[in-house]
Amino acid sequence: MSKDRKLHSHGHGHEHGHRHQHGEGGFSIDVYAYASGLRRVNPVFKVLFAVFVLILTIGLDDPFVSLFVILTMAVLSIWKGKVDVRGYCSLMTIPIAFMIFGSVAIAAGFSRQPLGDYNLSLHFFYLYATKSSILKALFLILKAFGAVSAMFMLTLSTPASEIISALQRLHVPQMIVELMNMIYRYIFIMMDTQRKMKNSAQSRLGYCDFKTSCLSFGGIASNLFIVSLKKANAYYDAMESRCYDGELRFLEEEKKVETIEVLSAAIYLVVLVGIHIGVKCF
Amino acid sequence: MKDPMIEIRDLHYRYNDEKDALNGVDLKIYEGERIAVIGSNGAGKSTFFLNLNGVLKGGHGEIIYRGEKITKKNLNQLRKNIGIVFQDADNQIIASTVMAEVSFGPMNLKLPRQEVVDRVDEALNYMNLSEFKDRPPHYLSGGEKKRVSIADIIAMKSEVIVFDEPTAALDPLNAQMLEQVLEQLWGEGKTLLISTHDVDFTYRWAQRAVVFCDGKIIADDTPLHVFSNEEVLKRANLKRPMMLDVYETLTKKNILKDTQAYPKNVEEFAELIDKLSQQD
Repeated sequence: MSKDRKLHSHGHGHEHGHRHQHGEGGFSIDVYAYASGLRRVNPVFKVLFAVFVLILTIGLDDPFVSLFVILTMAVLSIWKGKVDVRGYCSLMTIPIAFMIFGSVAIAAGFSRQPLGDYNLSLHFFYLYATKSSILKALFLILKAFGAVSAMFMLTLSTPASEIISALQRLHVPQMIVELMNMIYRYIFIMMDTQRKMKNSAQSRLGYCDFKTSCLSFGGIASNLFIVSLKKANAYYDAMESRCYDGELRFLEEEKKVETIEVLSAAIYLVVLVGIHIGVKCF
Repeated sequence: MKDPMIEIRDLHYRYNDEKDALNGVDLKIYEGERIAVIGSNGAGKSTFFLNLNGVLKGGHGEIIYRGEKITKKNLNQLRKNIGIVFQDADNQIIASTVMAEVSFGPMNLKLPRQEVVDRVDEALNYMNLSEFKDRPPHYLSGGEKKRVSIADIIAMKSEVIVFDEPTAALDPLNAQMLEQVLEQLWGEGKTLLISTHDVDFTYRWAQRAVVFCDGKIIADDTPLHVFSNEEVLKRANLKRPMMLDVYETLTKKNILKDTQAYPKNVEEFAELIDKLSQQD
């Protein structure tokens, strides 16, 4: 029997040791989730906790609560989840771009007259912002970051397969759950296929100039479509041969929920509400 | 002679409106046999396997499993008892952890949870995969994936295991591992069908070689007889196993006496030479 105990496939140009190099993209999130210190925690519990934090962050609409969530979720992911700080920060930069562009529209407005606390003349019209609108945008960014942190805590500590099975237990429709399962597995196969086709195109000078690159890209995209149809057929055959009857069933590990976890989660949620009330009172 | 376990009678199959992929296949498979299915690409081996498993339906002909004719109603009987290890493990693995993947078959058999857990553990242990239990399949190497795809079938405890070109994507070490697994499975009373292009493997491993050509079986005999039949070799574009050539060359040149003791592998050949040198 092969004594090949390497963590990784030879096929993927992707290794644990260099994971911070893949700061962005689904790949590294996946790797973090498998190595996470919070992996042993019951996934249903994690999903519920993350969702409650998400709801509270958005529902309370309080910058202090958001700030608290951002900080505590980062600490939880980095300290308990063993995600390295650099990796966590680089993952956090992905949503930043979206948030900045989104909030600029809220902070700034157009007008023919100079309005607001700050304005910028652009000859035909003025770009203006008021103190309150800037504050509003800032709070919005904080809120969004809080929500994203809660979701990152979940995805960085729970492999996709476990999130999917947790959703199944929370009675998300079977159809959606099965699609998620297949799509998740398929992403990696498609990426692998695409990489192979791209390599072979590259080795035949398929990317030597812009026009050729476009042609190669189109060729690969359409070929990928055909290949995925074929693969879908092959998959279906393989599933049928193992008595597939229209419902995907897998064995899942049972992970117990510890009392201390439930207790700390409850305290955390109470603290969130407490901060909100406390800030209001003062 | 005992009754065949599976009997296939006059099986025809065609994909859409293309020419017949299977064109009248008759075959009897007995319990505990080790059969090599050989033939060039597109000869109909894979189609035959899928028919045998009841995945492809709507062909003409009969499949009789343990005296029972297979119809739509008892099709699952066939799938339960005949497992296929597909050529490309990536086309077989559907779950996102090794444990979930191996559990897919037993779960579909509607076994009780504890039984599924036991079978999965046993199969993983069998294929030396226990420590990969929680690993997603996309972080496994080709050889490891192949082992997962074999564990898939072992967990189903099917009587017959069909391997579709199992060594196609394996390095020599993993191919050797596979041969050991085959030996072990056969020792446990499984019936094995293997499609392959490796004539040397067929010669040393199989009890019976079935040659496919253009959707028909053109020869079904011991590997020695099949590979001695020039006409079959020519029609199916097969090469002769090296050991057979070596032996015949030596007997022709009168270096060895032709005792019909055909060596199947290098070890047996070495023994033969040893005996020869002792006689001198």
